[in-house]
Amino acid sequence: MNRRIAVFIVAFALLGAASAVPALAYDELDPPTGKSCDECHGLDEGESGSGVNDVRPRKGPHGGYSTGTQKCQTCHTVHAAPLMSVILLPAATIRDTCNSCHDGTGGKGVYGVLESQGVTVTAAHRIEETDLVPGGSQAGTEETRTFSADGLLTCSDCHSPHDNNTVEPFTGDRIRESEAASFPADPPSMAVKTNRLLKQRPTSGTTDTPVYGSDWCGACHTGRLYGSAGVYNHPVETQTAGVHYDSILRVTGPNTSDVQTGTLGASNYGYVMPTSTPDPPGRRYPICQQCHEDARSVGNDPAQPQRISTLNGFDEEFTITAADGSVTSDNPRFQVFPHESGTSRFLVETTDSLCTNCHDN
Amino acid sequence: MRLAGREVSQRRVFVTIAVLLGLALVALLIYLLFFMGDTAEPVEPREVAGILPILSIEGPETGERPEFDRPLGAAFGPDGRIYVADTGNHRVCVFAADGAFLFEFGGHGVVKPAPQVEPTWQPGLMNSPVAVDVSSDGTVHVADFYNNQIQAFDAEGVFLRSFPDPLQRVGQGGSGQGGTGIAVTDVHAAGGRVYATDRYQVVVFEEDGTFVTQFGKPGVGSGDLDHPNGLFMTDEGTLYVADSNNNRVVAFDGDGQVRWAFGAFVSQLDKQEENPFGLPRDVTVTERGTLLVVDAFEFELVEVDTEGEVLGRYGRRGVAPGEFNFPNSIDTYGDLLLVADKENDRVQVLRLVRR
Repeated sequence: MNRRIAVFIVAFALLGAASAVPALAYDELDPPTGKSCDECHGLDEGESGSGVNDVRPRKGPHGGYSTGTQKCQTCHTVHAAPLMSVILLPAATIRDTCNSCHDGTGGKGVYGVLESQGVTVTAAHRIEETDLVPGGSQAGTEETRTFSADGLLTCSDCHSPHDNNTVEPFTGDRIRESEAASFPADPPSMAVKTNRLLKQRPTSGTTDTPVYGSDWCGACHTGRLYGSAGVYNHPVETQTAGVHYDSILRVTGPNTSDVQTGTLGASNYGYVMPTSTPDPPGRRYPICQQCHEDARSVGNDPAQPQRISTLNGFDEEFTITAADGSVTSDNPRFQVFPHESGTSRFLVETTDSLCTNCHDN
Repeated sequence: MRLAGREVSQRRVFVTIAVLLGLALVALLIYLLFFMGDTAEPVEPREVAGILPILSIEGPETGERPEFDRPLGAAFGPDGRIYVADTGNHRVCVFAADGAFLFEFGGHGVVKPAPQVEPTWQPGLMNSPVAVDVSSDGTVHVADFYNNQIQAFDAEGVFLRSFPDPLQRVGQGGSGQGGTGIAVTDVHAAGGRVYATDRYQVVVFEEDGTFVTQFGKPGVGSGDLDHPNGLFMTDEGTLYVADSNNNRVVAFDGDGQVRWAFGAFVSQLDKQEENPFGLPRDVTVTERGTLLVVDAFEFELVEVDTEGEVLGRYGRRGVAPGEFNFPNSIDTYGDLLLVADKENDRVQVLRLVRR
């Protein structure tokens, strides 16, 4: 009998200790005790982190996490966290935090940019609305995943605002105002490589993907990768073959079938990849982003549908002259991929020419 | 077994302890479920962190869109009316001083569509109105953000004029789409002029829309601006600007010369420095002559004097009356404050409770 009482008491004590773990693990911030989040989670400039929760200092609104103010608590709560909260995030606040600037009033407009130009959104990564991943299962079917906003997909599932464990910088297809060389007359520079704060391991991913490419998309859309069971997918190359956003096979210029290895960003050449070209080892297939990217016009010259052309008035060259899709004649158009798109399934083009950009014979 | 001089069976002791443990477990579960992580507050209006809630408006409560959708701006009219820039619904809603819905105007219209898309803008239609201001004569100015223009209406919502031409370059240039017009984030009329914030500058117009001047450029230096989102012109000719992404409030004279600045750009090199603001999004002047700064990331109103000393901080994060969830703009009417409580999809009329 005494043993049974002892078991009860021990079980009760364990239950109490477990419920107190958050209080024991985190310093109370309100009222402040002088100990900031940075003392445990911060990294100095240039320092590499060993923990998954490390915070890398950044400038502007993406900096200042270590000031000991409420800034950390904007997204993170300590004692007020709902029960079962994975990393102590209160519900539906990540999007709100990002939207404070990224609605266009404080930085780069993301969601809402298409609507503002009268375009109907036909594809989107629907933030804090869904937990369903097309092609999420190995069989290629839709799968429910558990993301960070009470299970729903949110910004921080793909981006680390702390620049923690992010992918290698790559030549993006988008210009941000902060990267613009001058204002307002001169065209901004495309020279800046950034990682877009993309996590190496998006939420629900099982492995790190140090470079942005097909494998990064496959962290969620697992069943869309080539070789997945139960469904035929267009072959894509992976980082295993050394193919990623900054290293793909592409034509060398307009009106040619010559190919080279180069970046997909800041050029439309990466969307033309003639299959008649001899196959360099490890470069046979495209990556996901060579078909799914910001909408643009590529190779629409009816005389040479498989090639980018500047002839016959069909100027299909990459033309970004200003940040954030602010010039309607730019090509690509909106600079908000993969958040929203006016084309089905985020396809670069939706007409037959998308196929003939590569399948030219 | 003997306890307190009485003979009790071991079974009774066990049952008693089990019942007590069970009750304790239930009490613990109630505590965990209802007190930890529960952000709900009593609905009775009461002072909250120096804020006394007076009125909360969540929409017209009628029509096809009875609720606000991320209202970024709000302003008092000269008669105490409340004008709300209902950003996500592309309209302005007007309420009586007691919060009764009066009427709305606006609707979605696009000046600069994408290629192959027809423009849909007609005078009075809006594309993400992010700020509203009401002059002493009742003229309502609306920051028509994505249409890159300001629109003026009379107090009853009748369209008067729009400026600048969103399809023409403004002065030395603006941040409107395609380099024409201005990406206007706030507007304030005073002294016969209309002041507006663009992404990296302040642009000044006559009331009839004639361009006057512009100042500011990208950067972190003195006089530079980075996504300012709020401004207020005093009768004495000082223009206060909430220089949001530079984390500071800047006072300019009428010619754009910097008088002083409070706060500082956050860089990764001075990360240990304290900053008075998290993300200043708007600024106004109180009847006492102090400044009230809306801090979206600190979820509070920061009162500072004109020498940059913090006099008080009011408000906290939450959804209860008097609390904020990414507040974005502020206006005053006597000692009343009007705050666009953006992510709570409401505007609040408040008073400060100073200590």
